[in-house]
Amino acid sequence: MEDNQEEVLEIFTQDGVLITTAPATYIHYLNNVGTLLIVEYPNSNLTRCIEWKPLDLTIDSDVQDQEWTVVSTVERRRTYSGSLPVDVNRSKHLKINMNDIKSFRVSHKNQKLTFRDGKGDNVCSFIFQHGNCDGLIAVLKGILKTIVSRRDKHVYCILDDIKNPERQQLDKSFAELNLFQEQSSAYVWKFVKNFPNRPYEATMEAFSKITDIVYRGPEHRLMDSEVHNILHRSLEAIENNTTTHSHDEYELIAHVPRLPALKEYPRGRPLSFEQWKALQDSEGQVEDVEAVKLVIFRGGISSNVRKEVWKYLLDYYRWKCSHAEQQNLIKQRNEEYFIMKLQWRSMTKIQEDNFTDYRERKSLIEKDVNRTDRTLDYFAGDNNPNLQVLYDILMTYAMYNFDLGYVQGMSDLLSPILYLMNNEVEAFWCFVGFMNKVSSNFDMDQAGMKEQLQHLHTLTAFYDPEFANYLYKHDSANMFFCFRWLLVWFKRELSQQDVMRLWEVLWTDLPCQNFHLLICVAILDTEKNILMENNYGFTEILKHINDLSGNIDISTVISKAEGMYNQIVDAEHLTDAVRLIIGLPILGNTSIVDSKEASPDISDLTTNGDTDEVSYENALTHSFL
Amino acid sequence: MAKTYDYLFKLLLIGDSGVGKTCVLFRFSEDAFNTTFISTIGEDTAGQERFRTITTAYYRGAMGIMLVYDITNEKSFENIKNWIRNIEENASSDVEKMLLGNKCELEDKRQVSKERGEQLAVEYGIKFIETSAKASIRVEEAFFTLARDIKANTEKKLVCIWIIFVFLINLYIIVNHCE
Repeated sequence: MEDNQEEVLEIFTQDGVLITTAPATYIHYLNNVGTLLIVEYPNSNLTRCIEWKPLDLTIDSDVQDQEWTVVSTVERRRTYSGSLPVDVNRSKHLKINMNDIKSFRVSHKNQKLTFRDGKGDNVCSFIFQHGNCDGLIAVLKGILKTIVSRRDKHVYCILDDIKNPERQQLDKSFAELNLFQEQSSAYVWKFVKNFPNRPYEATMEAFSKITDIVYRGPEHRLMDSEVHNILHRSLEAIENNTTTHSHDEYELIAHVPRLPALKEYPRGRPLSFEQWKALQDSEGQVEDVEAVKLVIFRGGISSNVRKEVWKYLLDYYRWKCSHAEQQNLIKQRNEEYFIMKLQWRSMTKIQEDNFTDYRERKSLIEKDVNRTDRTLDYFAGDNNPNLQVLYDILMTYAMYNFDLGYVQGMSDLLSPILYLMNNEVEAFWCFVGFMNKVSSNFDMDQAGMKEQLQHLHTLTAFYDPEFANYLYKHDSANMFFCFRWLLVWFKRELSQQDVMRLWEVLWTDLPCQNFHLLICVAILDTEKNILMENNYGFTEILKHINDLSGNIDISTVISKAEGMYNQIVDAEHLTDAVRLIIGLPILGNTSIVDSKEASPDISDLTTNGDTDEVSYENALTHSFL
Repeated sequence: MAKTYDYLFKLLLIGDSGVGKTCVLFRFSEDAFNTTFISTIGEDTAGQERFRTITTAYYRGAMGIMLVYDITNEKSFENIKNWIRNIEENASSDVEKMLLGNKCELEDKRQVSKERGEQLAVEYGIKFIETSAKASIRVEEAFFTLARDIKANTEKKLVCIWIIFVFLINLYIIVNHCE
């Protein structure tokens, strides 16, 4: 087929088709727009090929900027250099023999078409920029025998070519046996399909048809590839698992730009009493708030001044207030607290009996107070008075913010604050400040948590596409295994001392408000090899992550997260979606904006790779209701 | 990490907050009881309703589910119906289920009679057992019963897979023989 003069029959042609995945030989075409053809070579035993030729020699810069694609064999990726071969003739066009294609998948509202080989790996994918691929699918259905995959309605499996000699032989042998009315392989396949629904009936029905057949002693030969295929497919269908194997037959290539190297950001010394006093003027006002925050971000706060500084960080005290104004404020807050406390304290029995909402949240608080940090001396033992204070503050908070009320996890957030303040009113107002920062974690519809998990996935996919792809293939792209980390800001993972250090660092909002997500990315980066080497699935990942509790070195993690933040900020291919998360202004010049990326929709969680997208989305709908 | 076991089952314990899910699990796994258990978050499973969208993620792949209520808490029993509906929507249909009335040592505070528990279990066609994680009553029995049922269920499936395999091998032999 090297001969350009060979007779060619173009069955289908479409312009404006962007190529996003291709075999290694055609790496230079990636992210270019061109013409897609389905071509038949009548002189070469009716070979059909998928062909694609570029539009012209210039690279459309818009297209080049397009978001990279996550592929399964990232370790084999190559970076697209941008050079194009000068000589573009037919023999250099992308050409893939149709016989190598075993299925194709339609996605992105019928705008994307991906061809896959017998192992389910992507051979090439195309985005139809003008319209959709419906026309092509109609043509393919016309020339190939296809069935819709039972696992994914967007996947069309190509049944083996009827002209295949092996297939003919097999059909013949079955015909001679006269076992089944239908085509043999189709029969077996049908049997396999029925099996999960009615195993006994399907099996017995099939058995009944072969009981009459007498066969002589078994001859062990190499398994017929057709039967092998059927067996393979059947086992796949029974397990109903999504299996994707990486292999060496094709290299899946994508444009995956590299991040700058990870630099070290050693931790600094904690804000000392002397530093703190030096930063206040004689009136007690803090002029350079950013300087204070920077020191805290770099090294946290010394324990001898932590109690006072937390009141500022949690908006109980005002940075710009004089001592006198502060005293006035404290007095007001004090009164306000006791008014609210009195409101629930004065609830009569009858009132309570007639107030289900109140009763339920009271019972929830009681339950949780009894199991909050009881291993710490501060809350240990029966009838510990600090438990009563914990309870009173949570009850008062429920009156302060009745819409939110009490949600599990809030007692965890209060515990270190109360421990440090050791004062009911101060702890309450500091807790209010903390809750103001994280109240979306406790939304009734969990929208705040979902958004963070989604952002965490976007960051992970940007920082480490290979790992994101792994998670995606193991039903874990929803990042649910980080739920506890985010809900209570690592409270359950760290010691009381460590969690206090982490929280004060995060409260500075430096270098960005979502720095806690980078903490997650940093821990995951440390653990990803274990997860991937052991081929952990959703349950094992969850267990592994939960078991990290007590084994996280928070200083190392913070400094690594800072390094990663800077790597991301300096990345040349930084996208608006990531900019938004890490608090950088949006440039709005990302071309071919992925609709998923633009909308803060749940589907954003989808990685850029499109393998098993539908099963992923199903899983997500599943999980998110 | 070499794991030595004959069977590995993924079980979930679900039910309202504070019915004793973690304590039941702890009694089974450590044969101990601790009154000051921490509330469970992000593992199977947080009981509070608003976490339900997250906890349902854990249903996937579960082979057995223990539905736990507190016999001294009427509400937790009433909510079992909601949990079951939730399972039906999110877990695979062949998951083994079992109803557990926990805290049965607190007879004087009982709000849900044993008969009502039995009746509900019959209604859903699942097994029922009253347990006490604190007094160590029938917790092991509950887990082993559930595990046995799952094992029986799994073996039934394995037999089917074996049959189909034998069938296909025979078919292959026939095909080759007649070529």
